[in-house]
Amino acid sequence: MNMNKNFLTFVLILALTAILAACGDDNENENENENENSSEANSSVEADAWKPSKPIEFIAPAGAGGGWDTTARTVAKVLEEESIVDQRMAVVNKPGGGGAIGWSYINEKSTDEHLLFPTSPPIMFVPLNDQSDLGHKDFTPLAALTGDYAAFIVSADSPFDTMNDLVDAMKEDPSSVTVVGDSAPGSMDHMQFIKAVHAAGVDAKEVKFVSSQDGAGMTMLLGGQVDVYSTGVGEAVEQYRAGNIKVLGITSEERLTEDVVSEFPTLKEQGIDDVFIVWRGIMGPGDMSEESAAFYENALKEMTETDAWKEELERYGWEPNWMGSEEFSAFLDEQYDTIEELMIEIGLRN
Amino acid sequence: MSTLESVLYGFEVALTWQNVMFVFIGVLAGTIIGMLPGLGPISAIAVMIPLSYGMPPSSALILMAGVYYGAIFGGSTSSVLLNAPGVASTVATTFDGYPLAQQGKAGKALAIAALSSFVGGTVATIGLMLIAPQLSKVALTFGPTEYFALMLLGLTAIASLSDGSSVKAFISATVGVMVATIGVDAQTGTQRFTFGSPKLFDGIDFLVIALGLFALAEVTQLIISRKESLFKSGSNIGSLKITKPEVKKMAGPVGRQSVLGFLIGVLPGAGATIASFLAYITEKRISKDPDSFGKGNVVGVAAPESANNAAAGGSFVPLLTLGIPGSGTTAIMLGALLVVGVQPGPMLLTDHPDVFWGVIASMYIGNVMLLILNLPLIPYFARILYIPKGMLISLILIFCLIGVYGVSFSQFDLYLLIIFGVIGYLMRLFSFPPAPFILAFILGGMMEQSFRQALTISNGSLRIFFDRPVSLALLIIAFASLFVPFLIQRITNRGKKAKTS
Repeated sequence: MNMNKNFLTFVLILALTAILAACGDDNENENENENENSSEANSSVEADAWKPSKPIEFIAPAGAGGGWDTTARTVAKVLEEESIVDQRMAVVNKPGGGGAIGWSYINEKSTDEHLLFPTSPPIMFVPLNDQSDLGHKDFTPLAALTGDYAAFIVSADSPFDTMNDLVDAMKEDPSSVTVVGDSAPGSMDHMQFIKAVHAAGVDAKEVKFVSSQDGAGMTMLLGGQVDVYSTGVGEAVEQYRAGNIKVLGITSEERLTEDVVSEFPTLKEQGIDDVFIVWRGIMGPGDMSEESAAFYENALKEMTETDAWKEELERYGWEPNWMGSEEFSAFLDEQYDTIEELMIEIGLRN
Repeated sequence: MSTLESVLYGFEVALTWQNVMFVFIGVLAGTIIGMLPGLGPISAIAVMIPLSYGMPPSSALILMAGVYYGAIFGGSTSSVLLNAPGVASTVATTFDGYPLAQQGKAGKALAIAALSSFVGGTVATIGLMLIAPQLSKVALTFGPTEYFALMLLGLTAIASLSDGSSVKAFISATVGVMVATIGVDAQTGTQRFTFGSPKLFDGIDFLVIALGLFALAEVTQLIISRKESLFKSGSNIGSLKITKPEVKKMAGPVGRQSVLGFLIGVLPGAGATIASFLAYITEKRISKDPDSFGKGNVVGVAAPESANNAAAGGSFVPLLTLGIPGSGTTAIMLGALLVVGVQPGPMLLTDHPDVFWGVIASMYIGNVMLLILNLPLIPYFARILYIPKGMLISLILIFCLIGVYGVSFSQFDLYLLIIFGVIGYLMRLFSFPPAPFILAFILGGMMEQSFRQALTISNGSLRIFFDRPVSLALLIIAFASLFVPFLIQRITNRGKKAKTS
C-alpha cells in the first residue's frame, strides 16, 4: 500500500507541475498589468531617452510553431542574448481568427509601451476580407526585417515551361487551369497569384482557385489534380531539387543569389511587371509614444547587424529586407491600396 | 544502399546511447502527456522545439517522434478508465474500453490496448522500412475526389454506431456536420455561423467536442446520479490475462487494422483519428456479433488501438519522403526539423539518411520500450479507479480545462467545452448517441471541402467522381455497405418467412 501511495503522490506532483507550467505565462501578464501605471509615469518623465522599464510582452497572434511564433521567439532570443534590450521578453501565444484575436488583444492595450508583435501580409489580407476590424493602420509599424517571395510552380510533366505559357493558356480558356493555394480566396496565396496574372493581362475574375488544407497543396500538385500551386520560394526548393516540379516564376525584383534559388526565373525577366514581397516585421500598439517606437526601431536595427541574427537568417532561410518605421508604414499603405483595388476588381470586395 | 544495409545503418544511428536515451525520454513523456485527457502531442512537441536547438537532427526527430507515438500509445489509458479520450485518436477506444472497465475488466482492456498498440506501431515501422518511398506515390494518387469517397464511406457507418434508434443517430450526425461547418469557409472565405465573432473563425476544435461530449458528460452523469463509484464492481480492475479465444478473436482485426491504419496514416490529412474510427466501424460491420460492440467487446478496443498507432507511423511517410506534413503534429515536427537545419522533403533520404533511417529504427526500439513500460504499470494506472469520486471528478475537470486552454489559450474555448459537456449530458439523457456526432464532425468537414474542391476542378461536373478508379471503387464500396445489409436482411427474412409458412 505504501508504494501505491508513493505512486499517487508522484502522479499528483506531475499533475501540479503541468498546471503550474500552463499557468506560468498568465501570472506574468497579470503582474505586468499591475505594474503598468507606475511604468507609464516613468516613461513620460524621461521622455527623450525612453527605455523599457519592465519585461516586454511579445505577442504571437498564432499558435506555437508557425511563422509568427518563430519570428517572435527568434527576435526575442537575439534581442535578449545580445543584450540589446535589458528587459526579459516573454513570448505569449494568442492564436485564433487568422490573427484577429491577437490583434484585438493588442488593441485593447493600445498605450502599452511594453508590447510587440510580429506581422506579415495577413495583417492586410485579413481586414481586407472583413475578418478583422483592425489593420496595419491601427498599429505602429516599427521595422520590416525579412522578405520572402511568392513562387508559382507546376509539376515536372506540366505542359507549361514559362509563366507566359501559363498566361497564354489562361487567356485562351481560364477554366482549363486550376490553381491551388493553402488558404482561402482573398488570402495571400490567392491574391499573390491574381496580382501576377492580372499584371500579365489575364481576366483575373475568371481564375479558378482551389483552397487546400493542412498544406495539401503540394500533394495536389504532385498528384496531378491541379495545374499550378501558388506558394512561397522556400516551399519550392526541395521539390525542385528532387526534379518533381518546375518553377514558372517568382515575384522578386531580381533573381535571388543562393545556388538553387538563383535558377528560379523572376516574373519581371519574363516581361510581367509584378513584384510581391512576403515581408515580415515587428509592430507595436497603435498609441505607442514616438520615443518608445524610436527605441524599438533602433534596437531592431542593431539586432539585424549582429552575427547571431545573421545565423538565424541562415537557419530559417530568411532573406534580409530591412525597412525602418517610416518607410515600412508608407510601403504598407501602398501595398494595401494595390490589393484592395484588385479585390474590388475581381469582386471579392465592394 | 540495399534496404537491409539501410535498416542496419538506421539501427546504428538509433542505438547510440544518446539516441536510446532520447527515445526513452520521448516515449515516457509521450505516455504521460497522452494519458492526461486533453494534453496532446502538439503542445508537447512545440514546447520541445527550443530544447532541440543544437541537437543533432536525427536525435531531435527521434525525441519528437517518440513523444508523438508515445502519446497515442498512452492516450488509451484515460479513454478506458475515465471515458475521457487522452488524445483525439483514442476517442474510438472509449466506445468499448470504458464499458469493459465498468464491468471490472479495466486491466484486461488496458492490456489489450497496449498489445494492439504495439502490434500497430510495429507493423507501421516495418512498413516504413520496406516501402516508404513507394508509398509516397500512393499518397499522391489521393486527391479531392478520393478523399470525398473515403469520407463518404466512413459516414455510411453512422447507422451502425447507434445502439437503439437509428433516427437519433442520424440526427446526432447531422448536428455534427453542421457544427463542422462553423468558421471561415476555406473555398470562398465566407463566414459561416460565426455571428461575426473572430473566436469562431477557425471553427470549433475537435478536442473541445471530444472532451465535452465524452469526459464532461460522464462527469456530469456521475455528479447527478450520485453513484459512489465509477464502476459497478467497485474497485476491481480484474486480471490482465487475455484468454486464448480472445486472442483468436482479435488476431484478425488487429492484423487487418494495423495494415489499414498504416495506409490511412500515409494519406496526408486523414491521420490517426480517422484511421481509428474507420477501424472501429469496419470491424463492427464485418463482425458476426455487431450488437456486442459498444458494450465491452474486446475487438472494439483492439481495432482502433492498432489502427491509430499504425497511422501515427504511417504519417511519417509523407513527412519524410515528400516533406508534406499530413497532420498538425507532423507540421510542428517539420518546423522543428527546419530549426535544426534539415529541410524535410524528397531529398531527405539522399541528404540526411541518418535522419530518415535513424528515426524509423528508433520507432522500433520505442515501441518495444512502450510495451515494457506500459504493461507492468497497468495495475498502477488502474489505481486511478481507487481515487475517491469527488477527487477524481475534480481531477478530470481540471485536466480537461487545462488541455483545452493549453491548445488555444482562449477562455472562450473553455466556455465551449462546458457547453458541449451540457449538450453531451442532454444527449445521454434523451439517448442520442454521441459517437455519430463526433464521427460526422471529423469526416463531414473534410468531405464537404473535398467535394467542393473536386467540383471546382471539374468545372462543376459530377463525372469527376466516377472517372477516377480509386474514387469510383471507394464509392461502390460505400454504396454497397449502405444497401447490402438491407438486402441480406430482406433475403434472410424472406427465407424465415418461407420456412414458417
